[in-house]
Amino acid sequence: MTRKPFILRNPSVLLMLAVLAVFTAAVTLMSQAYGSGAVPTSMVKVLGKTLCLALAAVAMDLVWGYIGILSLGQMAFFALGGYMIGQWLMYARTEAIVAASLAQAPIPPTPLELQEATASQIFGVVGSSDLPMVWSFAHSLPLQLLLVVAVPGLLALVFGWLAFRSRVNGVYLSILTQAMTLALALWLFQNDSGFRGNNGLSGLQNIPGLDGVSQARLSIWFLWASAAALGLGYVLIAWLVGGKFGSVIRAIRDDETRVRFLGYPVEGFKLVVFTLAAMITAVAGALYYPQAGIINPAELAPIASIYLAVWVAIGGRGRLYGAVIGAVFVSLLSSWFTGGRAPDLALPGYVVKWVDWWQVALGLSFVLVTLFAPRGIAGFFDLFTRRKESGS
Amino acid sequence: MSALLEVSGVSVSFDGFRAIDNLSFSIGPAELRAVIGPNGAGKTTFMDIITGKTRPDAGEVLWGEYSRSLLKMNEAQIARAGIGRKFQRPTVFEDQSVADNLTMALRANRNPFSVLGWRASPSSDQRVTELAAEVGLAEQVNRKAGELSHGQKQWLEIGMLLAQEPRLLLVDEPAAGMTLAEREQTTTLLRRLAETHAVVVVEHDMDFVRRLNCKVTVLHQGSVLAEGSLDHVTRNPQVIEVYLGR
Repeated sequence: MTRKPFILRNPSVLLMLAVLAVFTAAVTLMSQAYGSGAVPTSMVKVLGKTLCLALAAVAMDLVWGYIGILSLGQMAFFALGGYMIGQWLMYARTEAIVAASLAQAPIPPTPLELQEATASQIFGVVGSSDLPMVWSFAHSLPLQLLLVVAVPGLLALVFGWLAFRSRVNGVYLSILTQAMTLALALWLFQNDSGFRGNNGLSGLQNIPGLDGVSQARLSIWFLWASAAALGLGYVLIAWLVGGKFGSVIRAIRDDETRVRFLGYPVEGFKLVVFTLAAMITAVAGALYYPQAGIINPAELAPIASIYLAVWVAIGGRGRLYGAVIGAVFVSLLSSWFTGGRAPDLALPGYVVKWVDWWQVALGLSFVLVTLFAPRGIAGFFDLFTRRKESGS
Repeated sequence: MSALLEVSGVSVSFDGFRAIDNLSFSIGPAELRAVIGPNGAGKTTFMDIITGKTRPDAGEVLWGEYSRSLLKMNEAQIARAGIGRKFQRPTVFEDQSVADNLTMALRANRNPFSVLGWRASPSSDQRVTELAAEVGLAEQVNRKAGELSHGQKQWLEIGMLLAQEPRLLLVDEPAAGMTLAEREQTTTLLRRLAETHAVVVVEHDMDFVRRLNCKVTVLHQGSVLAEGSLDHVTRNPQVIEVYLGR
């Protein structure tokens, strides 16, 4: 039992970081802002968003693949992270616009007038002009950044505490997590929720204070930030699952009753993992939505969280690179097939239009992977390199 | 000698069936005890009650010098208080190495954050090596537990039990699936452990119980039918009728 530094014991972590660095550098060199322009800005945004989804998938793998909680509500945390950063983005930008237009007025506006004018700009669309309580911190970037991790973290902590304490397990727990994200979506859909109902938050691609920076540049900055977040999140989770903690959580996944008889507080471990994963997912969401430009309650639809589980399953759960492969591969393929650019498949007597049939193909491949390749795409690596150790 | 574990007047019913009926039992801090009885006598339920898996409807389970009630504690707290259990069917974590299994069982703080900060040290490595050697798995330390034979899994589980350093060991059918030589080894180990620990062995196999050479408690229909040396209980006509006579 020799002890080597963490990175050397996990060559897959090093490889993942190297691939990420090369990818980011390559995209930068082909971007419109910093390179040849071969990759259009819209594509840079797609790639940056994909990295955020990959981070959410890695967190999903921690929750599902390692400790065995099939959470079908992870995208609630992702979207909450987006909403929290979106509040600041929207408020600060609207405030700047309002201030500029009021600057011409004969009497300069008071801070209260400025706030009221900003609020009526933001909430006019839902027939209100008051700033809801939940926007109390929207003027401050540091506070909203804190809320990005605090709000989803607290939700996961309370939800997890209630669910794990009652020893809700397996499919019942999955249904509960679905109910959580659905309930949250339905609440956000209401106009008086304070989050602009089904309009959601928009204009998030415009970063306040960076008006002079082109979207081409911003998109690359966000790509870098997303790559850095994925790299850090990946290393953190790999470190977490690599040691004794990882050993205990995999044991909980395989036989939690037995782990209890070893004296481990199983519920405590689940709570730590679930909450941490929620916070990581929220950070991914906070980086995703400024690249997407808009967030609305449809993002919390249960189907989104199910997709996340499908990506992890297809990529190969129980290993972190599998989650990354699954998220990147399936989400890029999805956007290609549903983007209308995929050529139709002409069968005798029927033309398969991928825009309509992609969902069917995805569902079918999920079933096939579950039945015939439970280790997912990452499992194919085993054919080349025999894995001696599990879970690294 | 005061008792380490004191079970008194415990009853539990499942859907109207009385699995344990006014059962009382006590064991000292360094004692070997065999619990025998026919199928359905309540042996496993008895262990489930002590380890917190099943809550009794009535009765008292007191533990240690300060007579703490185990009924107010959950499984993990009871395990941390010093009660270790070896299951009938060997339950080891098959996906992980023998060393990982033993490391997990090593006596240490079980709090999630302490586990996060836990680092292997020369002394923990040495302890794992010692334990592996003690249960005859020195060569298998880096193999996955799932690759071991049935008997080796039994041994690994005994190793994990020792790693926890419990004060009371509840051992459910340790000899199941073991060869004759392994049984000898198990007997020796259990007897040696009982010099410093309380050991309760639940067993079907009368030959094995005879070799343990200890006080025997006979369970029948959820309560104690007889208690004493094996020779004493085997002469008891009721015991002969319900158990040995079959």
